[in-house]
Amino acid sequence: MKWFWLVAALLAALLAGIGLGPAAVPISELWQSPIVRDLRLPRALLGLLVGGSLGIAGASLQSLVRNPLADPFLLGLSGGAGLGAVLAIALHWGGPWAIPLAAFAGALGALGLVFRLGLVGGAELDPRILLLGGVAVGAFCGAVMTAIVSLAEASELRNAYLWLWGGLSGASWDTLRVIALCLPVPVTALLASARPLDLLVLGEEPARHLGADVRAVKRRVYLAASFLTAVSVAVAGVIGFVGLIVPHLGRALVGGRHLRLLPASFLAGGTLLVLADTLARTVVAPRELPVGIVTALVGVPLFAVLLRRWTAY
Amino acid sequence: MDRVLILDVRDVTFRYSGVARDALRGVSLGVSSGELVALLGPNGSGKTTLVRVALGLHLPRSGSARILSRAASEWSRRDLARVVGVVPQREDNLFPQRVRETVRLGRYPRLGAFGLERAEDRAAVERALERCDVAGLAERWLWTLSGGEYQRVRIARALAQEPRLLVLDEPTASLDLRHEMELFELVRRLVDEQGLAALLVTHDVNLAARFADRLLLLSDGNGVASGTPTEVLRREQAESVFGWPVAVSSFDDRPQITPLRRPS
Amino acid sequence: MRQRAHRTHLAGRLVALLGVACHGAAPRSGTVGALVLRDDAGRVVRLAAPARRVVSLAPSITELLFAIGAGDQIVGRTIYCQYPPAALQVPPVGDGLNPSVEAIVARHPDLVLLYRSSHTDAAARQLEGLGIPTLVVRHDRLADIARTGRLLGRATGRDSGGEAVGRAMDSLLARPLSPVHARIAYVVWDSPPIVIGGGSFLDELARLAGADNVFHDITTPSATVSIETIVARDPDWIAVVRDSAGNEPPAWARRPEWRAVRAVREGRFLVLPGDLFGQPSPRAGVAVTALRDRLSNTTHPTSQSP
Repeated sequence: MKWFWLVAALLAALLAGIGLGPAAVPISELWQSPIVRDLRLPRALLGLLVGGSLGIAGASLQSLVRNPLADPFLLGLSGGAGLGAVLAIALHWGGPWAIPLAAFAGALGALGLVFRLGLVGGAELDPRILLLGGVAVGAFCGAVMTAIVSLAEASELRNAYLWLWGGLSGASWDTLRVIALCLPVPVTALLASARPLDLLVLGEEPARHLGADVRAVKRRVYLAASFLTAVSVAVAGVIGFVGLIVPHLGRALVGGRHLRLLPASFLAGGTLLVLADTLARTVVAPRELPVGIVTALVGVPLFAVLLRRWTAY
Repeated sequence: MDRVLILDVRDVTFRYSGVARDALRGVSLGVSSGELVALLGPNGSGKTTLVRVALGLHLPRSGSARILSRAASEWSRRDLARVVGVVPQREDNLFPQRVRETVRLGRYPRLGAFGLERAEDRAAVERALERCDVAGLAERWLWTLSGGEYQRVRIARALAQEPRLLVLDEPTASLDLRHEMELFELVRRLVDEQGLAALLVTHDVNLAARFADRLLLLSDGNGVASGTPTEVLRREQAESVFGWPVAVSSFDDRPQITPLRRPS
Repeated sequence: MRQRAHRTHLAGRLVALLGVACHGAAPRSGTVGALVLRDDAGRVVRLAAPARRVVSLAPSITELLFAIGAGDQIVGRTIYCQYPPAALQVPPVGDGLNPSVEAIVARHPDLVLLYRSSHTDAAARQLEGLGIPTLVVRHDRLADIARTGRLLGRATGRDSGGEAVGRAMDSLLARPLSPVHARIAYVVWDSPPIVIGGGSFLDELARLAGADNVFHDITTPSATVSIETIVARDPDWIAVVRDSAGNEPPAWARRPEWRAVRAVREGRFLVLPGDLFGQPSPRAGVAVTALRDRLSNTTHPTSQSP
């Protein structure tokens, strides 16, 4: 029943995302309109995939670092992506895809660096080392980025920050094709880690005693979740809040077992982002709100309601 | 019932890297099915280290640790978890969980392909809940349990693994008298009725003496005495290991130790 | 955090809030030689005599000083003051954003001109404390150029030059060119799409050139919109302001989502040079003519089909 509602909510959000927008499209022409075909539909689907990725990545990372406050962007990826974008602009890398590709490369660089730091001295992705390493790498990338921006004279560069908060405006069928190719492997890897993640939440030693190959699971989960985050930031910038709150929404809805929690977080993350983006595009039309603000405005009250149910055991 | 030697630690020496002295020196320990062995010793005597070596988490510098005649370090974690169930001293409960959910985690090493739960897994969970007398709590959140209930739930989770050896690390720390007794009675019953082997790490010398078949007394990394409670808990032995004058009496034919007041 | 404050330089100049109209004329001077001026921070500034050694801390102020004939009175400028070329002969005193009081004082100015922002108020107070008079100005719309031109004219003893700039702007504003029925969308940034609204001087330039800004109804200088909104407004032209040289369409024009916009599909781009269109300037008349020329010379733009 819960799953029915999760899927129904997602479908409703997708319908709203396709049917509503600042331009008036008569319902009868909904399926022929190029606005719907080329803009709204790819944007809604991109919202589903990015929101879902952030949801599932957030849920797995929270269990990996055993910290309910962990957010996929906590591990330095947004700093790396921003640095990549700034470099692409500063070095005049041409082409319509230069910035997203450079941001993706930057995020992957940060991912690799944090991963390497997490293994220093046999730390074996100790959550504390991972979090500290992530924050440090993120801060370092941010400092380099700020230095480049403030020293350069190119006016375009000052707008590089804007790119990081880009939201879903870059949605197109091409973007969708790329992200659809990137998602299956990491999502499958996370779903396959669902059982050992259940154990990992208890702590590493208890997880070992219950039969989990802790070392392999941690590496797999870190790499898969971070890769999803890197893909998300490359196509949609930093969208806050989804990866932090959606896992808790998921736990309140379907419980803490990852075999249910991970798919539920994907569905709920997709729903939240599609819904938030639809509101962002329509409520102050013709202007548009930053989608990250709307995810918080929609997500927090929802979370508060569920939190009450959750604690009233 | 035929006694099968499950845990066989022989003459083990172990040293942590970067530390100048051995944490264990020539210690041996055997646990067979249908037998409850208690591991005793003061803080820092090497009890937890010995358990970790026995379970293959540390490699001994010399000597051997075998489980069912195979070196402990050669077992995959999954295969080992089907033979040995451990109730560790500490674990996190980061996110809220219900009793049945946590007991289900014990089935992890026995789940079939794709991690799917089968009828036998569900049956094993219910059996484990019954045996530990926590079936009535199955739908409760963990955080609403008392300390004694919580420990019984954790033992149920280890039983859901359907192990042949149960290892309990200080299971009665911070429990009151009644819950402590209930827990020891539960472990004894599991050993007697199910033929489990059990290794119990504890501070409580007197309860260990009353419930265990054999004791191993550790002191400063050395196995100073091993055998039946009567063999191990001799006065001069206990006084030297615990560094305190004691009197030894007898109750139910088991030795009991009473620490003496130091004359002022 | 979305820090709109970071949207600087080009976008920042556009985003800035502004007093739209010019509030009355500058106050009259008192005794002969001595001046009493009111600046855009609302301060009353007294000068014993018109300034002879002026430090300008903004490119637009430097340009305006040259325009009113006070160019040879400038003794300090920012590193960004590149227009007119004669400005390059003046020694620079920093980037103007975080004014270096020490470098300014070393030029022995008798007046320092600052562009009003959150940074400049503190610097103005510091300079006043050292006995150096300061004027804080802000001109985001064309009418502000007329007012600032007259103010600077009086402050530097170039009253007639200031008046000439003021009158030129007044008459420019009073006589828009005949409509050409060209509908323009200024796109400042592509992701997220940011366009120029009715609160910007660029909107005025379009109107004066006889064109319409399709986002005139948005009252702020700039706003984030979705591509869908641009599609719905269906502009004939996409105008982009660019500092670097080149006439080719921006790279984002090749992104598939932007091809939903008719003007992008048809390659109807107006690439406008940043030195003329990047800020409101006394050359607004030139800008209007340039824009008008672009619009009338390309009434049938060559379609760049994919």
